[in-house]
Amino acid sequence: MNRKNFLSSLLTLSAAGPALGGATPALAAAAPATTGAPFPLITPPYLKPGDTIGITCPAGNITLKEIQPATQLIESWGFRIKVGDTVGKRDTIFGGTDEERATDFQKMINDPGIAAILCARGGYGVVHIIDRLDFVGLIQHPKWIIGFSDITVLLCHIHTNFNMASVHSKMCNSFPDDWSKAEPAQAKSILSIRQALAGERMEYTAVPHPQNRAGLAEGMLVGGNLKTIETLTGTPSDIDTAGKILFVEDTGEYLYSIDRMFWHLERTGKLNRLAGLVVGGFKVKPDDPGEEFVRTVVEIVTERVKQYSYPVCFDFPVGHQKENYALKYGIPHILDTRDGQARLSEKSVNIAPLP
Amino acid sequence: MRIPRYLKPGDTIAIVCPAGYMPAERAATCIETLQTWGYKVRVGHTLGGPSDNYFSGTDDERLTEFQQMLDDPGVSAILCGRGGYGLTRIIDRIDFSTFVKAPKWIAGFSDITILHTHIWSNYKIVTLHSPMAGAFNDGGAEDVYVQSLRKALNGEKASYECAPHPFNRTGAATGRLVGGNLSLIAHLAGTISDIKTKGKILFLEDVGEYRYNIDRMLHQLKRSGKLDRLEGLVIGGFTDSKDTTRPFGATVEEIIRDVIGEYDYPVCFGFPVSHDRENYALKIGVEHTLCITPEKITLKE
Repeated sequence: MNRKNFLSSLLTLSAAGPALGGATPALAAAAPATTGAPFPLITPPYLKPGDTIGITCPAGNITLKEIQPATQLIESWGFRIKVGDTVGKRDTIFGGTDEERATDFQKMINDPGIAAILCARGGYGVVHIIDRLDFVGLIQHPKWIIGFSDITVLLCHIHTNFNMASVHSKMCNSFPDDWSKAEPAQAKSILSIRQALAGERMEYTAVPHPQNRAGLAEGMLVGGNLKTIETLTGTPSDIDTAGKILFVEDTGEYLYSIDRMFWHLERTGKLNRLAGLVVGGFKVKPDDPGEEFVRTVVEIVTERVKQYSYPVCFDFPVGHQKENYALKYGIPHILDTRDGQARLSEKSVNIAPLP
Repeated sequence: MRIPRYLKPGDTIAIVCPAGYMPAERAATCIETLQTWGYKVRVGHTLGGPSDNYFSGTDDERLTEFQQMLDDPGVSAILCGRGGYGLTRIIDRIDFSTFVKAPKWIAGFSDITILHTHIWSNYKIVTLHSPMAGAFNDGGAEDVYVQSLRKALNGEKASYECAPHPFNRTGAATGRLVGGNLSLIAHLAGTISDIKTKGKILFLEDVGEYRYNIDRMLHQLKRSGKLDRLEGLVIGGFTDSKDTTRPFGATVEEIIRDVIGEYDYPVCFGFPVSHDRENYALKIGVEHTLCITPEKITLKE
């Protein structure tokens, strides 16, 4: 079954009878999709004042107290907050058992009163529940899913399977306790979530980097945490990058492992047909003594993409760092590195395609 | 399936380092031992070479040397000195056409998993997952694990036993043996070197990984359909596995037990294939029988 038929059969199923149960075996069995093209891009409705944002923990755990800086600020933006049952729950490193996390996320998907789902934090755990989630409600009533790091699993999954846009951004655990003391980059990053959800056209300019490769590219913006992307390979959540702008970031990996992951991208055909490459922050784990890898991240990437000609930019403000701007995932963007700077802007519907 | 010709006294074993750097003295005992076993040894320049970094040589140097040993009709087996990291960088540039016409043994493990899975998936030629040069040191040359390498190269059929484990799932399975280092198997997903596990006996080991990452890789294997149609599963050592500051809350054995809970093929834990001393030579691609009873576990070629 191709994805289009699969999608329509899902819709037919749900229209014909009661909502499917918690599990959608058909979803797990669906073949990994090839491109985002077969059915139209789903852009969830942008948020209006008074809309409700649900907060849930599909991966790591967080306390109610820890999300308060986020809820207070978001409420000051004019949105309502619905705190999910998993906030405050803890099962070892997880925000509740697999069952609890899946149930909470499912409730957020199915609740028509929720306009966006903000994941409270990353950590690890989305792969435990992704195949249990029933996305029929999300397709019928699209809503923004927000997060990064381990949440890359969700962003990749809904892009590949439903061509649905999402927001790659900071989460509740990155909101400062005292907003007045937030560093400018952090405050700007958090405010960009509001701008993205409100439907503003996003545009970011990164500090010029001498190793940027000049060029102009247009394509859907996809990517996320590099290690997470690697471990989705071969699964129904795997992304296809052909014709797209790929952004990657990571934290806590050895240089040799970063090298190996870029080779993996190369060997799985994820680098050769890119429109452009955006390299975000990489917090590198120091080499063990005697195992010095010598190369830098910039050298690793430059070596891997030297046979291609698309634009490449480094140190883009996305990643496990203070400056981590909201990116509209799965939405067409333009990457312009022609003057050494890198400008990543959401493609306006009014702008004609690049020649 | 093709099995390379087993070795006879006087045959030549080449020692190369296609991945990480290894000082020559770390391989001295291995070389002496192989000679006392009656083999000639050819030592590659990548063992203890002039490299001053992580790798045993540049990509070109490692590739060129491996290619020479692969193509040289005077070399009957290639024993990798050590693993580390590096085969990914050269695997797509290795020309296997001469090797396919005249197969020879390729032995090693860890990063060498890439050679095993690549060769088996693409050429159906048997390779040897085995101890490497460092395992001969500190008395290792006499232990049953290094001796199992000698026996495998001699053509003796493998017959291994291991101790029971409370999580074992009893039963008997027959199938071709595939597997190796879990991180590498996860890393090969989606590439031309990817492993195919349907109807096979899969074995896994790893070293130095965080528990959550072991869990994540196993979920990747599961979600990509690599765990559901196995004949059997052999879990080796997960040496020096690490935990996060906040405990993951499950041991590696518990993680594995839970991931495969819905399947019913036989499974054994604690099999002597690992980054520790316990590391039997296993012939990748050869049909084996795995028999697990509450008292005894056997893996026989």
